[in-house]
Amino acid sequence: MPREVTPSEPPQLVEHFFRHESAKLIAVLTRAFGVRYLDLIEDKVQEAMLAAVQAWRQRGIPTNPAGWIYRVARNRVLDALRREKIHQRALALAHQTEAAIESLVEDWLSEDQLPDSLLRMIFVCCHPGLDRQSQIAMTLKILCGFSISEIARGLLISAEAAKKRVQRAKKTLAQQQIKIDLPPTVELQSRLSVVHDVLYLMFNEGYSTSKGHEPLRDDICEEAARLCHLLCEHKTFSTPETRALLALMLSHAARLDARVDSNGAVVLLAEQDRSLWDRKLIRFAEVWLERSKTDSPSRFHMEAAIALTHCHAASVAETHWPTIIKFYDHLLTIHDSPLYILNRAIARGESGDVDSALAEIESIRNHREMRNYFLLDCAVGRLQELGSNVEAAITAYSAALRASSAPHEQALLNKKLTQLKAS
Amino acid sequence: MAKFMFVYRGGDEGAAEASPEQMQQAMMAWGNWIQSGMEAGWLLDGGDGLKAEGQVVQPDLTVIDGPFAESKELVGGYSMVEAADLAAAVELAKACPMPAAGGTVEVRELAGHTAE
Repeated sequence: MPREVTPSEPPQLVEHFFRHESAKLIAVLTRAFGVRYLDLIEDKVQEAMLAAVQAWRQRGIPTNPAGWIYRVARNRVLDALRREKIHQRALALAHQTEAAIESLVEDWLSEDQLPDSLLRMIFVCCHPGLDRQSQIAMTLKILCGFSISEIARGLLISAEAAKKRVQRAKKTLAQQQIKIDLPPTVELQSRLSVVHDVLYLMFNEGYSTSKGHEPLRDDICEEAARLCHLLCEHKTFSTPETRALLALMLSHAARLDARVDSNGAVVLLAEQDRSLWDRKLIRFAEVWLERSKTDSPSRFHMEAAIALTHCHAASVAETHWPTIIKFYDHLLTIHDSPLYILNRAIARGESGDVDSALAEIESIRNHREMRNYFLLDCAVGRLQELGSNVEAAITAYSAALRASSAPHEQALLNKKLTQLKAS
Repeated sequence: MAKFMFVYRGGDEGAAEASPEQMQQAMMAWGNWIQSGMEAGWLLDGGDGLKAEGQVVQPDLTVIDGPFAESKELVGGYSMVEAADLAAAVELAKACPMPAAGGTVEVRELAGHTAE
């Protein structure tokens, strides 16, 4: 029996289709009906996506999958509002008739208008009325389509804690009757700076290897960069600082694949195969840093410049350390942090000035943020190695081992100690 | 060659908590399976799903709402497959995404009754 041949390739889903579709629909529908219906809208969007999976798994993906899910979600939201007899009130609060809301929502979902709703939602999730932890959890939940258990896995917290952070945020947003608006001009700088901080921390959460590697954490980095890019494409929010933040994220993201070996173990900067670094992302980072030029560079500018200097070096030995030291000097005038002092000291040691580097580290040893910070003694160990003081290096790495709690860190340190003791 | 019906039950447990990314993975798994079956020719028809709600006509012609089976036992859909024999069809069923999703696949050969 002759079989019908499909004339063209069946429609495929783009990567992260459901994740980003969920964020789009929640942003637009919440903008239409108000933040008080956020829970209901999240539920209905979830239902619509489940319905899509069931409908498509055997029959294939429709030509307009986004439109399919939107229609189901919209109908389910309207049905739920009618059933709960809050329909009229919801419409009245939104000052719209049902038909008007539908046409509004469809406009908002169009390609050129969609960023506006997403940006409003970013400012809601990063509202200054929420604590920092809740801002990050909400951003992951609402704008990145993470489930509670994915947030927990990504942020290395319990599912219970993740749930609490999201619930706490929703309660505050409802109590304070937060509107799905862009910040007024007078608040713009301060509100944008909160968004920067949230995205920066979110990226760092994903990038940190302190508890070993988990692929989901790479997704957090990717999502933070995606949202930052969204800000960069908006005429008001694309400030030099926003652009520098994107450059910073991209220059770190370029090294994501090289940071983990085939067994999932973390690989330190010095030992990374630099041919695995993503040249395209490094190029994008350079372009965005170029576009971020300003007379008053932010810490993101300086951090991006430092990260790119590493990206441009063929090896640790060939890294242009004097440039990095200069950038840290500048960075410390913008934002005084013992972590920057520690990193500058390492750069000093790598450039040959071991004694002053060690002295500088001792000067911050008792700083509140440095207590029990195993990387401090790791840095001392590295500097002592550079100065060929094997005994002192062993002492420092042993201290680092005592301060470390993560198994993969301990494995790295034990390896180091064995090598040193054998030398 | 013989024709078989794959009868799917369950597989939606925990779906309510599934993340969008997990849904994407589920979709991909089904899409790949259907596509490989269509290309190789053993999948005659991807089939369809069945809605959960329905009614049941009793011998006395009374009609009751139902079926009220547990979602694990509820027939949720079917596909049509061609294979050399039952053993070969079962091997094909093992590779479909249903077992990994926590559901079952009942493999039944069509009797092939004809009017002649």
